[in-house]
Amino acid sequence: MLIFLRLLSKRLLSLLVTLLVTTAVLYGIAMLAPLGARAALFLPKNLPAHMTDQQYMQLIMLAIQKNHLRASYPVQYFYWLKNLVQGNWGYSYTLQQDVFQAILQRAPVTAELTLYSILLFLPLGLLAGVMTGSRQNSAVDHSFRLAAYIATSLPPFILALILLAFFYVDLYWFAPERLGDAATLIVNSAQFHSYTGLLTVDGLLNGQPGISLDALRHLAMPVFTLTLPHWATLARVTRAAMIQEQSQDYTVAAKARGLSHRQITWRHMLPNAVAPALTSSVLSVASLLSGVFVVEIIFGFHGISEVAVSSMQSTIDPAAALGFIVYSVFVVSLLMAILDLIQSAFNPRVRGGAN
Amino acid sequence: MNPLRSFFSRWQNWLGLVIVLFFVFAAVAAPLLSPMDPKAPGTIKIVGNPNDFLPHPPSAEAPLGTLSNGISVYHSLVWGARNALLFGFIVAMLSMCIGVLIGTFSAYSGGFLNSFLMRVSDAFLSFPIIAGIVLVNQVFTTLLAHALVIYAGAGQGGVSTQALSLLQFQKNLPLWVIVLQKIDPVMVAFILFSWMPYARMMNTMVLQLSQTEYVVAARALGAKRSRILFRHLMPNAITPAVVLAAKDVGGMVLLQAIFTFVGLGNDSPWGMLLVKGRDWIISPGGILTFWWVFVPATLALILFGIGWNLLGDGINDALNPRSGTSYQND
Repeated sequence: MLIFLRLLSKRLLSLLVTLLVTTAVLYGIAMLAPLGARAALFLPKNLPAHMTDQQYMQLIMLAIQKNHLRASYPVQYFYWLKNLVQGNWGYSYTLQQDVFQAILQRAPVTAELTLYSILLFLPLGLLAGVMTGSRQNSAVDHSFRLAAYIATSLPPFILALILLAFFYVDLYWFAPERLGDAATLIVNSAQFHSYTGLLTVDGLLNGQPGISLDALRHLAMPVFTLTLPHWATLARVTRAAMIQEQSQDYTVAAKARGLSHRQITWRHMLPNAVAPALTSSVLSVASLLSGVFVVEIIFGFHGISEVAVSSMQSTIDPAAALGFIVYSVFVVSLLMAILDLIQSAFNPRVRGGAN
Repeated sequence: MNPLRSFFSRWQNWLGLVIVLFFVFAAVAAPLLSPMDPKAPGTIKIVGNPNDFLPHPPSAEAPLGTLSNGISVYHSLVWGARNALLFGFIVAMLSMCIGVLIGTFSAYSGGFLNSFLMRVSDAFLSFPIIAGIVLVNQVFTTLLAHALVIYAGAGQGGVSTQALSLLQFQKNLPLWVIVLQKIDPVMVAFILFSWMPYARMMNTMVLQLSQTEYVVAARALGAKRSRILFRHLMPNAITPAVVLAAKDVGGMVLLQAIFTFVGLGNDSPWGMLLVKGRDWIISPGGILTFWWVFVPATLALILFGIGWNLLGDGINDALNPRSGTSYQND
């Protein structure tokens, strides 16, 4: 336990360092922008609809003074970071919302998608990798390899549209968007309390399992679309790791001792193969989050991708863009830290220290 | 074994090479395979009535049918191969170069600089590519809006992105403005945020190799550090990076199509085909009623990805025969 705690604190510390480095780099990039554009980050709420150039320049000058934008880089970065920590992420005129509020409001949608896809692809990817890796060159193995190739190069939006055509239009099992109309009415009513923001959990907490079921019905297709390529990648890496373990001395020794194939595979080889397999997943968390944003757009989930999209439309919206970037970097680093801890929980040396 | 012999010893490598060469052929021979319309040159060719909303099945004029507004699928498919190869190659090559240089340099320097550079690459790894696109896009539009204020005399506040196209009509713009207008922000974001695996790979390889006997021997013989680095370490450590780069070519093109689909970046022709065809995939008679609006482009993307992946495995077989066949390791 002690070793695990030490690991935890070490990981949290490095998480903090990563966040500091990335925010510093981000603000460094923001420094490239001319002074006036940087000041637009700090414009107040409720600007009048029509302004003369002069009025606008006055506001900009005020923002420059108030936020020390003429100071040196470290000073500016410090004040900006202070604002970030206090939750002043600026005001987005394209979203008509405070950026921090906008992100908080949309984060649960993204979190739900990410969470379910991780919960699905981790065990299923390991399982498929073990099954094919321990039966190398069998028919299962060959068909898996082909399937994995296709799964990683199939455009997700085409998969999404094909799923929609079959499971929504033809069969009506699943549906796009986050909730059906009836469930939306209930969720928006005063009786329904939002505890976590995750609808599948909130439905149960409110004693309305129907809502959870409806949310699951709507999650099925996006989660499947997200999971498929990551499942294939993880399974391929696990398979390669399993094949490498096969030629290790301890495996040969276990075989010589007369252990069954199943016992060797699951008790002896798997724990050793998990570490390299999970490393690849840790490194691909960022691409998982990119996938989440794409899937949100395709399936009409009003998640965090809205902030990104609105930051790139019609007018320049640095506050929304920067908020989106900081938020996604934060989420990815957090997920990486968690997966890292899971991986070390599998590590026999750390587990041994627990006793 | 001879690299070529070991490359051609497996049919999967053959297949990969044939698929990639097929796309190269399409890219090179595009003007012959599907000549551009002299009146409206470009990767989009309109066949028949441009106001016709209905996609038409394959015909002599458009061998793979048309989308809405008479856009020929075949034409964009052929010219898309050129775009895809160029995009994938540039992105994979540049990110490989950046990664290899950073990885080698940090391993070569060692000590504090090494751990610092690896920390930086960790920080980049926590950057989802979409955040990178938002960032690069934001920087580009901000700078261009600034140029618009300076050189075209636009008002200070709230420059809309549509107004940026006004810059085209300005003369005597400085070089940086012209360059910024030409570059695709998605491509820049892809390059900036995909060098990290190369750097990490290169770093471990160089660190490992610098302990081997032949490097120690070269050092004992009094070889210069730069000679050891470029003559002894780099050529032996670079194989995994080359393999990854080959696989990345396919992956980057797929990613480009994905972002085109959600409306980001300069249109890739294949992505454009799928964007224009999306509304016809779900149709009353089943998804295959208008199969030509999405099947050709999807197949092209899948084949492109598989081809480069297989070729990557083949390169691994050829250059790195000791690692065991990549057939086991992919």
